Amino acid sequence: MTILAFDTATDVATVAVVRDGEVLAERRSRAIRILHEIESALAEAGVERGAVERLAVGTGPGSYTGLRMGLITARTLAFALGVPAAGVSTLDALAAGSPGATPVIDARRGEIFTLQDGQPSVLAPEDLPVVPGSLYVGDGAVRYRGVLEDRGGTVPGEESEAHVPWARHHAALAADFGSAERLEPLYLRVPDAEVAVQEGRLRI
Amino acid sequence: MILGLETSCDETAAALVTADGEVRANVVASQAELHARYGGVVPEVASRRHLELVAPVVERALADAGAGLADVDAVAVTRGPGLIGALLVGLSAAKTLAWSRRLPLVPVDHLHGHVASLFLEPGSVEPPFLCLLATGGHTLLLDVQDRAGYRVVGTTLDDAAGEAFDKGARLLGLGYPGGAAIDRLARAGDPEAFSLPVARVPGFDFSFSGLKTALVYAVRALEAGELERRRADLAASYQRAIVRALVGRTRAAAEALGAQKVAVVGGVASNSELRESLADAELAPLALCTDNAAMIASAARFATAIPFPDYLALDAYASAA
Ligand SMILES: [Zn+2]
Repeated sequence: MTILAFDTATDVATVAVVRDGEVLAERRSRAIRILHEIESALAEAGVERGAVERLAVGTGPGSYTGLRMGLITARTLAFALGVPAAGVSTLDALAAGSPGATPVIDARRGEIFTLQDGQPSVLAPEDLPVVPGSLYVGDGAVRYRGVLEDRGGTVPGEESEAHVPWARHHAALAADFGSAERLEPLYLRVPDAEVAVQEGRLRI
Repeated sequence: MILGLETSCDETAAALVTADGEVRANVVASQAELHARYGGVVPEVASRRHLELVAPVVERALADAGAGLADVDAVAVTRGPGLIGALLVGLSAAKTLAWSRRLPLVPVDHLHGHVASLFLEPGSVEPPFLCLLATGGHTLLLDVQDRAGYRVVGTTLDDAAGEAFDKGARLLGLGYPGGAAIDRLARAGDPEAFSLPVARVPGFDFSFSGLKTALVYAVRALEAGELERRRADLAASYQRAIVRALVGRTRAAAEALGAQKVAVVGGVASNSELRESLADAELAPLALCTDNAAMIASAARFATAIPFPDYLALDAYASAA
């Protein structure tokens, strides 16, 4: 089984070509270059695009724009290549790269995305229950290193590979392949305008 | 056939157009109802919806044309100007479709797309002509010498004409989108009932912000309860002022530039009073006035195609260069 996996939810987008569990190629880039990186990864792996049998894509949470780029690429690829796709949470992929660690993604606006009781959630870094001595990975952990380390958490160095949601993990975690139309992004926040309407602040 | 995609604002659109300019499919999924609750287009809401709609809209267009991806020779897509997050959804989809089948990609300027709505069959308009392009985001006078581009000879210094319609509709309590609502109500009103002046600016430029202010004062001057009774008169007078400004500037520019032909494109070109006032001009077909992908595919016939795979890292742009 040949799986093309990619994730564009965070600043470091990743691509991997995995066949029967063996990583044939893996790359990192910016989200806007994702298709370029897919092309390069397939060439590096010696896999024709028509030989791709499954897609695995990161569903976030992360940057809304980056996340959408990955999902629209997956949906369109699935349609054009006629292959099934599966979504994998970017938090789950990060966690899979560092067993035992807590994944923390920068949610902008002074907040983080993380897993709480296995559920993706958004909260202020100060509200994350830090376990002294335990490991925190992801661009949010790097950004809020001070907050986490002050309370005894451990954050690997900025250049550590542990902070990257490597797409090999998406390929490994992907299950329940099906129509790409079902793949939903994990936004975890409603748009500001919707909040304004609900709070009665926006008058039309 | 050219497969066109358009996602620059709040319409998700796909179309199939032949090299001769014949429209085989033209699918537009409007998000207007979705944005009505916010009183205008919300970029983040639009981007989320585009993600959901692009693939179904493309599939629908192919089905309408009785075609498959194998029948597509090039993919055209709006690169800008527009909402950057919304543009990126369409651009990513277009790149992926083109890449999957090793097709060329044609990035299209959205404004060129509106002009190219005149180059579709039947009834393609031959340049040269002076083109009034009036939408919710732009109000431009364009000197169109050939089908590949245009030269801007006038623009709005503040609000776009379509924006003026939307703001006026909001002041009159007509909701969003405002253009069609004002057009409808204006038919029951007296366009000379209120004097709403449009600022005169030098050259061939437009200014509509003063008009909106004049409407604010006109509404305020009415006694409570009177607004309801005079709403149609206000709508008619307001529409008359916008149309007068558009027509006046267009005719003046055509005369100054010696243009033999005048054309009107964009969402505001669907306004009935504007169409009547410029009945002698080439008017974009009603179905092609508001954003659609047929016009994008049409423009692609006269734009530069990027061969596979040179477009993989292509970016979108939010504002006109
Ligand atoms: Zn437009």
